[in-house]
Amino acid sequence: MLKKLVGAVALSMIASFAMADDFPKQDLQGIIQWGAGGSTDLVMRSVAPHVEKELGRSIVMTNKTGGVGVIATQFVSTQPSDGYTLLMSAENPQLYKIMGLSNLDYANFYPVNVLARGVPVLVANKDAPFNSVKELVDYVTANPGKVRMGSTGPGGLPSVVGAMLSSKLANFKVTAVPFDGDGPALTAMQGGAVDFMPAVLGAAVEHVKAGRIKILGIFDEQASPVLPDARPITADYPQFESLLPWGPFFGVFVKADTPDDVKAKLVSAFKKGAESEAFQKLLSDRGYVSMNIAGDEANAFLKKWQSTTSWVVYDAGMGKKSPDEFGIPKP
Amino acid sequence: MDALTYLFSSWLQPELLALTAIGTFAGIYIGAIPGLSVTMAVSILISFTFSWEVNPALALMNGIFMGGVYGGSRTAILLNIPGAPAAIATALDGYPLAQKGEAGQAIGLSTVMSFIGGMVGIIVLALAAPAVSEFAIKFQPRDYMLIGIMGILLVGALSGESLAKGIFAGAFGILLGTVGLDPMTAEQRFTFGTVSLMNGISPIALMIGMFGVSEALLQLHHLQKEAVKQKIDRIIPVWRDIKRYLSLSLQSSGIGVIIGALPGTGGDIAALMAYDHAKRVTKNPEVPFGQGAKEGLIAPESANNAAVGGAYIPMLTLGIPGDAVTAVIIGALFIHGLNPGPLLLMEKPDMFWFTVGNLVLANIFMLAFGLTGIRIFTKIIECPKAVLFPLILLLSVVGAYSINNSVTDVWWMLGFGVFGYFMKLYGYQVAPVILGIILSRLMDDNWRRAIISERDSLGDFALGILTSPLSATLLAIIVFVLFTQTRWWKARFGARTEAPVADNTGASARQG
Amino acid sequence: MQDQHTVRRPGELVFTLILLAGSLFLLWQAYGISGFSSMSSAGAFPMAMSAAMVATAAVVFIRLLRLPGPSQALLRLRTEILPPAVVVFSLLILAYCVVLETLGFLLSSFLFLLSAITFLQGGRFARALLLSVIAIVCVYIVFRLIFQVVLPEGLVPERAIMAWLHDLFAARN
Repeated sequence: MLKKLVGAVALSMIASFAMADDFPKQDLQGIIQWGAGGSTDLVMRSVAPHVEKELGRSIVMTNKTGGVGVIATQFVSTQPSDGYTLLMSAENPQLYKIMGLSNLDYANFYPVNVLARGVPVLVANKDAPFNSVKELVDYVTANPGKVRMGSTGPGGLPSVVGAMLSSKLANFKVTAVPFDGDGPALTAMQGGAVDFMPAVLGAAVEHVKAGRIKILGIFDEQASPVLPDARPITADYPQFESLLPWGPFFGVFVKADTPDDVKAKLVSAFKKGAESEAFQKLLSDRGYVSMNIAGDEANAFLKKWQSTTSWVVYDAGMGKKSPDEFGIPKP
Repeated sequence: MDALTYLFSSWLQPELLALTAIGTFAGIYIGAIPGLSVTMAVSILISFTFSWEVNPALALMNGIFMGGVYGGSRTAILLNIPGAPAAIATALDGYPLAQKGEAGQAIGLSTVMSFIGGMVGIIVLALAAPAVSEFAIKFQPRDYMLIGIMGILLVGALSGESLAKGIFAGAFGILLGTVGLDPMTAEQRFTFGTVSLMNGISPIALMIGMFGVSEALLQLHHLQKEAVKQKIDRIIPVWRDIKRYLSLSLQSSGIGVIIGALPGTGGDIAALMAYDHAKRVTKNPEVPFGQGAKEGLIAPESANNAAVGGAYIPMLTLGIPGDAVTAVIIGALFIHGLNPGPLLLMEKPDMFWFTVGNLVLANIFMLAFGLTGIRIFTKIIECPKAVLFPLILLLSVVGAYSINNSVTDVWWMLGFGVFGYFMKLYGYQVAPVILGIILSRLMDDNWRRAIISERDSLGDFALGILTSPLSATLLAIIVFVLFTQTRWWKARFGARTEAPVADNTGASARQG
Repeated sequence: MQDQHTVRRPGELVFTLILLAGSLFLLWQAYGISGFSSMSSAGAFPMAMSAAMVATAAVVFIRLLRLPGPSQALLRLRTEILPPAVVVFSLLILAYCVVLETLGFLLSSFLFLLSAITFLQGGRFARALLLSVIAIVCVYIVFRLIFQVVLPEGLVPERAIMAWLHDLFAARN
């Protein structure tokens, strides 16, 4: 009798934990892949309060940095698939396989929400002898290897855009100087350490407005409302259309085998949270394009991103392994 | 006129006044506990304060920043565990002072000097921010590399028993700093294929282990010996003392502001360079450096708090973070709907003056909180060792764990604790290891950036250094410092008798 | 002062030998990163540093060889380098770290403090018990509750307990 009772209690406890009706029964844990103060950290910490309101529980956020996010990704993948541990991350895991860093990518996770994507721009030192993408290309072709481009380690936005430029333009040879991110590189460019660089719009916009650096063009198909004067690169070089739109993105993920009802609860909470006016204003001020997509729609986006970027990175000689090995199709 | 209103707005509104006070108070303890960092605290505050107005949020963050940088000196002096990397240099002479029973005096002095440093930083911020930030931004990768070399020269002064052992320790530290995924090429260095090593070795874990844990183990050698009775008179330094050290404090503050304003360096490097500077300009210290020289306490404490004002300079004028904390504060400003950038100063001058005024306020609170309760703190080291050491260990484990929420850092801390214990017993200094790991990326990354920019041509690299006034000046300083280390120079100008640097613990352990 | 010591310390030769061997191993590893490919390669700096380590460790080793060895080396090793208190305390810390994740922070820290304080003060169990509980409560409040550092949970289902407490109070209001 006693045994039965204990069994029943235990069973009902397990059931109550597994049932999504009252998910979440306790606080959630958000694992942020990048450090405090970075753009991923910023986006996640500003969306979280809105989502907490929807869920009725707090999201305790923790920065677990390192190895371009491998450590956080690995950590979440070893946690129980109960939806209580969220991976708050950026685009990087989609390149882990070809960089030889990990066997995980977003195929192992379920996209609760891909919140936003950034738009790359090309900016230059204000004294540089070119004022538009076209002039830049002409100048670089005339002086191969002489122009210094601010970059980052392989996989970072400036390095990928740099690789795209040299793959689609003949004789586009520059000296790429890697920095820790586009922020530090932008600073170095103002001091004259590099001549031009690709950067995410949000990081560059205030410096452009103040006239400290000049904008050459926007690496997208349309002009941005934040900097309407910047000419889209496809206007002069339509060959980039096949790669665009491209940009870094931010998303929230849970393990792929999380129960469906839990996924649904999280998706709806994040959807409503991301729709909040304050969060949308933050995104548009920083020049991010709001996406707010989940599930299959998000998966399609992730797949396309992975195929485009993997091949560009691999063809530029920055990847360790061929995307073919992992069945990543050519775009 | 408007500027004046904004300058004092946080002084006159009780709410802001209270928040600044709370922030500063909390900051001192966040700074004092190893593993809890100001960056982390400010980052947590972003979610917490996002529905507030911007000024109250800023008041809290400014207070935490100011208090936190100062707070690191507490545990450095009392337990030989620097609460944050900026307090490493403080431990070198602060802890020996505590061992002599002068912890109270050391804390009092470092509080006043932190206050002076903080004020210098804020004054430079208020009066010369645009000029300083234009200057700071001119630093090229090669200049950062030269600054790194200037810092590493300190190994010579920290070598202890023999220069060979000092260089070994320094090189080991630099090597430890390169472990992990290379940020420039994504190449794995010394990771042996393990994920936990990709992140590299945390300098904080190394610091807690090598300073704190190894010291606790060494002290176990004389468990029975009574703890040193702390003198508790003369805690607040007399004016005569302050006046005597004022010149050194101001020079160190100058170093602090500049290093703090450089976007690639922060308070930790500022404090180490100021320590080096103090060691060079102090001709006849009352007590040799490393054994409790007051100068060795004053210089880093002035410099690291001056670096706070310095870090705000590029942030407020250009929207460029001066260090990790200001990077988070910039994020907070975004969330509050501001656009920190070069235009902020013109569009919202009130922000600038509010911050300046608020920092002054935080600095005053820091002085007030810092000088009260010192007696209670000095009691910590008087408590029985049998209780103190397990508690230190508990704090070290939790601190190491909190760095990155991972047990890996705990293992590193423990491993380096044991290794540091043997190093100290066999006459190696642990300070150069920490110096090395802190300066490693600064030197390695910037050397590579510089040489890549010159397309791998050493000739162009050398030409670049010699033709740039800034780089040439930095190089000249390095050459001069090296030159003053030569026997010829010392024989000719060296009035001071070169006192051997004590390792502050190993010696006593062996005598015991 | 211990400036130039005239006799080798017990175990010093072995320690220096370990440092030398370790430095050589690191040099070999550093060479493996990118060889002598270019001055800007990822391996250039590590190679220079490990080479410096090898050179200085060798200098220290050669100097040591010239010094006379210590008398009664084993005995002095036990008293000067590894006294029993250090060994036992280190083992306690080691055990603490091993069980930190499985037992969880609360339980393992409690056991560590209790045993370490009892051992070091040679008894007085009740006092140790009291101190351990106070210390852990303070650390838990500061780190877990105020700074939201998620300490290893292990056997104690903290989050469920906190949620239960939270609901209890929420229901009352």
